[in-house]
Amino acid sequence: MELTGDIVLAAARARVWAALNDPQVLAACIPGCEAVEVVGPLEKTARVMVKVGPVRARFAGRILLADVVEAERCAMSFEGSGGAAGMARGQSQVQLSDEDTPEGPHTRLRYTVQASVAGKLGQVGGRMIDAAAKQMADQFFGAFQAHVAPVAAPAAEPLAAARSAAPEPIAPAQPAQAAAPSTQALSAAPPPSSCAPAATEWLRVKWFALGALATALGVWVGARL
Amino acid sequence: MKSPQFDYCKPDSLEQVFSLLAQHGDDARILAGGQTLMATLNMRLSEPALLIDITGLKALGGIRVQGDRLYIGALATHTDIENSALVAQHAPLLAQAAPHIAHRAIRNSGTWGGSIAYGDPAAEWPCCLCALDGTVQLQGPGGARQVSATDFFLDLYTTALQPGEIVVGADVPLDSAADWVGFDELARRHGDYAVAGLAVAARFQGTLAQRVNLCFLGIGQIPLRARRTEALLAGKTLDAGTIEIAVASLKAELDPLPDLTHRADTKRHLATVLARRLLQAAHASRSAIPA
Amino acid sequence: MASFHTLHVEVNGQPQKRSVQPRQHLVDFIRNELGLKGSHLGCEHGVCGACTVEVGGRIVRGCLTLAVQTQGCKVRTIEGLSEDGDVRDLQEAFIRNNALQCGFCTPGMVMAAKELLEAKPDASREEVREWMSGNFCRCTGYHAIVDAICETLAERARKGQKVGA
Repeated sequence: MELTGDIVLAAARARVWAALNDPQVLAACIPGCEAVEVVGPLEKTARVMVKVGPVRARFAGRILLADVVEAERCAMSFEGSGGAAGMARGQSQVQLSDEDTPEGPHTRLRYTVQASVAGKLGQVGGRMIDAAAKQMADQFFGAFQAHVAPVAAPAAEPLAAARSAAPEPIAPAQPAQAAAPSTQALSAAPPPSSCAPAATEWLRVKWFALGALATALGVWVGARL
Repeated sequence: MKSPQFDYCKPDSLEQVFSLLAQHGDDARILAGGQTLMATLNMRLSEPALLIDITGLKALGGIRVQGDRLYIGALATHTDIENSALVAQHAPLLAQAAPHIAHRAIRNSGTWGGSIAYGDPAAEWPCCLCALDGTVQLQGPGGARQVSATDFFLDLYTTALQPGEIVVGADVPLDSAADWVGFDELARRHGDYAVAGLAVAARFQGTLAQRVNLCFLGIGQIPLRARRTEALLAGKTLDAGTIEIAVASLKAELDPLPDLTHRADTKRHLATVLARRLLQAAHASRSAIPA
Repeated sequence: MASFHTLHVEVNGQPQKRSVQPRQHLVDFIRNELGLKGSHLGCEHGVCGACTVEVGGRIVRGCLTLAVQTQGCKVRTIEGLSEDGDVRDLQEAFIRNNALQCGFCTPGMVMAAKELLEAKPDASREEVREWMSGNFCRCTGYHAIVDAICETLAERARKGQKVGA
């Protein structure tokens, strides 16, 4: 299964980055997410209750991060088990780029997911895999948009201020960033080391949660009867 | 594969059903025909605590004419609809679609209400209901309400049903002499979930199609009315030229999701094949009627 | 969590009273509680038809029906159908046409065909194939089964025979 998306969020790239770094934001936005846990610097687990039609499947997923370029992109590999229902594994890539509009700074978020589903999920879910993945992605980004959009800004400001250690180091990190637009090659090797450790941690957690979402997508779609 | 453990009850009133739903929330499932629910439980894709068997609620059965509508209760089985003289006369689209639903043994158990409540985009009843501009009747602890079919199916497996509510039935307009209906679907084997399907409900004046409702199944996240193409066809005679315009419009309008066995462009192509077949059949049928 | 329910059901003309768990499928109840092994388990999610039995005069999937759902109902299995003799001609046609090899699908096939003979006595070969497509066979390649059913339909039409309501 392959899924790609391209959405414009009504917030600046730094804000989007910060929100994606926030595990609470992600846990709130991933449909059915019950828990997000840090296991190690590059490894996270998530528990998500997937509901599609008659299916109710709780699955546990694990994400490994790689190729992180702060405020720009990340790749991750994931695998998840839905217990008796089956399992899924795959990779995903996310890219952020500036998209300035008359209404103020916006961010273009592009993602791709490649997943394969095994077990009963894959067997009986085949005809619904893409549709269910799309629904879950729409739900996630709909909720995420509400979190980062200016309307939500007053409530979110303290959050961003508290996390300011996270976004700031990103700004001076890469000269390539200044060139902004979306044509980054994913294969470029990022040096994330310019970040403060706390920032790196939030970063990891954020990408982890995105990976958790992607895993949820994979397992859930297959879970569809 | 065996179902997980659950409790079972068979209430004899709607009030009991609502009370149980309020008490258990998503941990309780409504059981009518069970042809989707039981398969889900057998595969361990859901583990509810309680099944609420509603087949004891006689008020939810029946097929009857009510004013200018044909009303079908939620508990009517697919076979009931397939065999019903009232359906054959007043809602022939449903009679055409019924034999496509799975196989006889499943049709003997599965229900009209169950199919509508799940809203599977590849199911026949949601598609026919939208083609006919039917109305879904709901009931909950707060009372009864109705939702037009095209407002009822919102997203993949997502309907306007609120938690604690159930579908009690759905009605469709009575077929008239000016109406033409047609249903067809394409599946790899008879009885499989359709790769693509189409329900057409048209109103004619002679050979002039005043309106043509086109509703596709298996193409989108919900039963899909091809509104732009419908607008193009309104007021036209469905000759070869018009049909080609409709096909071109569908190719632009339809954006099918692929699945594991069929690409998006295959589904789009199959949708146009069905459109051609049914629109040609409609035209031929109306042309054969003496003026 | 789950309590046992007392089930009163008539099976092959015999009233039965058993204590069952709600989760028990009708086909498991028939096989394990009543010892009637003629109905088979194949896919256990409704697609193969090996579990087909008759409830209230209509065929259903035994794996998609709970035993508790048959409270107060009349159930007939392949054993009862055979004894009643309703489809002796069909069964003989099956044997004549070599329409069974391992026999696993056969009870389900006979059950499904029985309802066809009742509901569509003038079914064409195409209609027979469509009707029977809900029952899978791994041995015969299906033609012999369809032949047997078509032969029975033709023979009954010739004799002016009608079965069922």
